[in-house]
Amino acid sequence: MKNEWGDVRLGTDAWDLSGKRALVIGAGAPAGRAIALALGEAGADVTVSSATTDGEDMMRVKRVAQELTKMGRRSSAVGTDVTLGTGVQVMVRQVAKDMGGIDVLVNAPDLFLGKPAGDTTDIDFNRVMQVNLAGTFHGCRAVGREMLKQETGGRIINIASVLGERAIANAAAYCAAQAGILNLTRALATEWGPKKITVNAIAAGWMEYTAAIGNPDPAANQTVRFVPMKRAGAADELGPLAVYLASDSCGYISGQVMFVDGGLTTHL
Amino acid sequence: MVLERLKLDGKVAVVTGAGRGLGRQMALALAQAGADVVCAARTAEQIDRTSADIAALGRRAVAQPTDVRDSKQCDALIQRAVDEFGGIDIMLSNAGIGDMRGANAELWDVNDDDWHDTLDVNLSSAFYCARAASKQMAAQGRGGTIINLASGTAMRAYPMSFGYGAAKAGVIALTKSLSAMLIKHQIRVNCIIPGFVMQAPAQNEQAAIFSQTRGRYLPAQRLGEAWELGPLAIFLASDASSYVTGQGFVIDGGGLAGGLAPMGFAPDVAL
Repeated sequence: MKNEWGDVRLGTDAWDLSGKRALVIGAGAPAGRAIALALGEAGADVTVSSATTDGEDMMRVKRVAQELTKMGRRSSAVGTDVTLGTGVQVMVRQVAKDMGGIDVLVNAPDLFLGKPAGDTTDIDFNRVMQVNLAGTFHGCRAVGREMLKQETGGRIINIASVLGERAIANAAAYCAAQAGILNLTRALATEWGPKKITVNAIAAGWMEYTAAIGNPDPAANQTVRFVPMKRAGAADELGPLAVYLASDSCGYISGQVMFVDGGLTTHL
Repeated sequence: MVLERLKLDGKVAVVTGAGRGLGRQMALALAQAGADVVCAARTAEQIDRTSADIAALGRRAVAQPTDVRDSKQCDALIQRAVDEFGGIDIMLSNAGIGDMRGANAELWDVNDDDWHDTLDVNLSSAFYCARAASKQMAAQGRGGTIINLASGTAMRAYPMSFGYGAAKAGVIALTKSLSAMLIKHQIRVNCIIPGFVMQAPAQNEQAAIFSQTRGRYLPAQRLGEAWELGPLAIFLASDASSYVTGQGFVIDGGGLAGGLAPMGFAPDVAL
């Protein structure tokens, strides 16, 4: 059967990322790890980076690289502090050299602060902004530069939170930073669209690892009980969407925020 | 394993508007992912063709002529899936009709029938199909997915398609409400919100030029192609979207994200 559109990948073959070179920043945390592994399962080679210079973070990233290598993918572990733009730039430049280029970037830095607004200090506020928002920007800027040089387009996926679109108490800095990530996503999509770079965000809801909600067991957790699916999400439920957004067949989705939240934001 | 989550083997999909354009491509995609498909549209000829193409992929398909404005025909459509394939797992309500009644018209030139017709084909049909499908899915006890088609015209002002936009906005809200109502039966409900997507490849010079010029205003610098909705339909129909419900997925080349200024507008203003 010949599709009138020609030789297009509109089925499950759309999910094949063979030959794609991905960089996941923040692979030491559950979301970044799950997405890095999903990209690998779909066939991509994946360099995994920490988001901080913390030793534990680096150890976890190294383990993810090992899991990817066991899958048969090219993978290496690198480190960076996402708050330092120059450092991120240097890391990305090296990764681009090692992999021969970067086709997919996943930004997954995450730092939650739960504190009344009146008690949130300048240092608190700036720290939350630097890790979440500036951290995402630094990754986008560095990899964007590579993609623009490569002239073969690209895919950028920013991992954010439902708290970028809604609010809870005691999270003013984090909510503001997450909202910033969402519109940063739209701005970059608009600017880089003509260069065939798509930029999207996945807004995760209450996940099993979400710092804001503590215990994700709905029996214990007043907040998770309000999720229509009545449960927190598992990190691996982010993977398939990231793979789709990274694929060649997804060139017409850009500047979008996609909520993976069990229906949370539809209801509340 | 991520790729396993996309598989639709053993699943039955019902697709309305499957004769051409977006519905046809999404039906083909669902079949490619493993589903058997009941293809519905008003006339037999085009859905016969879609069904034959699905059979060529090695899956089972039947054509069921259906006028989605008639709820009894929607009921019969779901019943056909039960009779032919034993049930329904995926309801893809794609049937819809454009509406240019506002073009060059004053609001008071649009009569009651015009208004109701637009709502019936675009919004009521989604309700009728969801109602019939969800009842069957609940009886089956194994969950299911419902995918509605909305439109970017629902999200902005489109005077020439005001009725269509209103109906499609209704589809977006209906999607959210249905997702809340039906989650207890493990039925997830989401919608696809296309921007400017070409239903078929440009057939002539004029169409090719049209699509190029319209595309200029979008970050992607092009119109979409109907097949691009295929993988999105698979994502929403399958376990790949297991934690996603009540959502609208916009596929529009970045149009809704940007758009405040023409493409190419790039202010250069220092601090």
